[in-house]
Amino acid sequence: MNGDAVVPHTHGRSYTDGRRRTLGTAAAAVLRALVTAAGLAAIGYGIHGLIDGQPATNPPNTTAWLIGGILAHDLMVVPVTMAAGFVLSRLIPAPYRAVLQAALLVSGSVALASLPLWRGYGGSADNPSVNPLPYGRNLGIVIGLVWTCAAAVIVHRAVRARRKRAGSGIPSDPQVGP
Amino acid sequence: MIRVPPRSVSPFRKPSAGSAGAGSTYRACVRPSIRLLTGRFPEPPAVLRRGPLRADAFPSRLHDPRVASLLGIWLGTAFGVCFLTGLMSHFMQHPPSWYVWPSRPVSLYRVTQGLHVTTGLACVPLLLAKLWTVYPRLWEWPPVRSVAHAVERLLIVPLIAGAVFQLATGIANIAQWYQFRFFFTVTHYWVAWITIGALGVHITAKLAVVRANVGRRRDTRSHLTDRVSDPEPGTGAGLSRRGLGIAVTGAAGVIVATTAGQWAPGLSGLDLLGPRRPDIGPQRLPVNKTAVAARVTAVARDPGYRLEVVGPRPFVLTLDELRVFPHHESKLPITCVEGWAADASWCGPRLRDLLDAAGVPADATVRVESLEAGGAYRTSEVHPPHARDPLTLLATGLNGADLDIDHGYPARLIAPNRPGVLQTKWVHRVVML
Repeated sequence: MNGDAVVPHTHGRSYTDGRRRTLGTAAAAVLRALVTAAGLAAIGYGIHGLIDGQPATNPPNTTAWLIGGILAHDLMVVPVTMAAGFVLSRLIPAPYRAVLQAALLVSGSVALASLPLWRGYGGSADNPSVNPLPYGRNLGIVIGLVWTCAAAVIVHRAVRARRKRAGSGIPSDPQVGP
Repeated sequence: MIRVPPRSVSPFRKPSAGSAGAGSTYRACVRPSIRLLTGRFPEPPAVLRRGPLRADAFPSRLHDPRVASLLGIWLGTAFGVCFLTGLMSHFMQHPPSWYVWPSRPVSLYRVTQGLHVTTGLACVPLLLAKLWTVYPRLWEWPPVRSVAHAVERLLIVPLIAGAVFQLATGIANIAQWYQFRFFFTVTHYWVAWITIGALGVHITAKLAVVRANVGRRRDTRSHLTDRVSDPEPGTGAGLSRRGLGIAVTGAAGVIVATTAGQWAPGLSGLDLLGPRRPDIGPQRLPVNKTAVAARVTAVARDPGYRLEVVGPRPFVLTLDELRVFPHHESKLPITCVEGWAADASWCGPRLRDLLDAAGVPADATVRVESLEAGGAYRTSEVHPPHARDPLTLLATGLNGADLDIDHGYPARLIAPNRPGVLQTKWVHRVVML
């Protein structure tokens, strides 16, 4: 959508409509430029704050964590997800695979969001009110419930597919849902 | 399939000539610089387009602009909530001179900070799914089309780095797990500015893609970009787009349900994966900093303890005198910056009664000082709305008993709508400023 792409479509519209639209697009372009400028200013403000806030902000360590986040995603999360998808595609027939993928996504996200807790990281010996729960057991309960739901959906799909096969008399793959 | 050469989706677009007034300045300066920004680079040799750079390298139907747009809207909204609630918490603790924080509604901070942490946790599946749907864009071809395109792609780096950083450090901080060597609150605050700024630039750059892919009349806007959602294959292998949406919603829902109980009343029974339980701690109330950690155990139990109130008519109270000072009861939550909140029943003299006795005028700000020898939260300032609120106490009792030493024995500040770190414990001095 460079300037040429925003030329108003005049078919079926009056001249005034077209003109209003052109003015609207100009206003939108100005707004976009302003938001972009504000965004760049906010980035600059944040960087300035990090540098100015030494030693509390420890810029080398902060930078390492910022870059580390991207690397952890691209070099760990993505390959693991791809590998899991590959294994699933070899082992599990399509309609059930979707359920397993969804259950894995939920389990993985829940485990990641509570990682320090069930790994036993953090807290301090003198303060038992921090991280006080049996988190390994609790994560097991939550993920167990997720997989119980997943198993129920798989059974439901299998039964539906079998009925369909029996009804049509032709062996076929079960239909795919979400 | 023949690919249409992509039109620029850069944030730097020139306004159409008819609307810009077409002044000579525009022709002389703006237009050449815009051309410099959006002028297309020559296409790199096609022989380089191998591996993940191939057009069909990522066939999954989940790598789709409509899915990315919808997830982007949800994620952008969630990050907006986190930014605003975080900003609020920041200004509460570091108030600018022009702003006075109100003491009501009592539970405002409980809600804003609870939302801050819960929304951040719910962002984990949203961010992962969003990054997955747009992953092939990392291997976009050609890698760089123009200066504007290069800038836009470069600004994705602070966006993703900032987003992952904010979630990771936030999750570590609420569990009090400190593997980093920077001070959490300050760094989290400044990286928030970087992240939200990069998000603003990203939204302006991708608005055309969102408009062409979301909304009832999106078909009429498909000319805005070359990134328009292809129809989803009816049957396919694995998760559908709707299925991904259900899974992400489910994941966010499970995370919220199992953690929001640490601040939301009525949900504490579901609090399975929150770092705090509102009823676990001394006197059934969580503690953030213990007396041992604050190194006040001996000095707080010293029978020679005195409370000093410094104003126009300064006075000193012994522990016994403090106990016979007219007492009141307040039901107030402790609301921690780490996103937990717990209701409790506090007992002690009203702060305003102590201030009146010392002749402190109603419009004065006071400083409350702890017995701690040092630390960032040794003292806190109490501005008139909180100092004069009838619910604000210098509490000596909690839930029907003497204050536990970890809750600030012999006396602590407890005021409505105020972060826990400013509810100073082990108070021995109140000074008019």
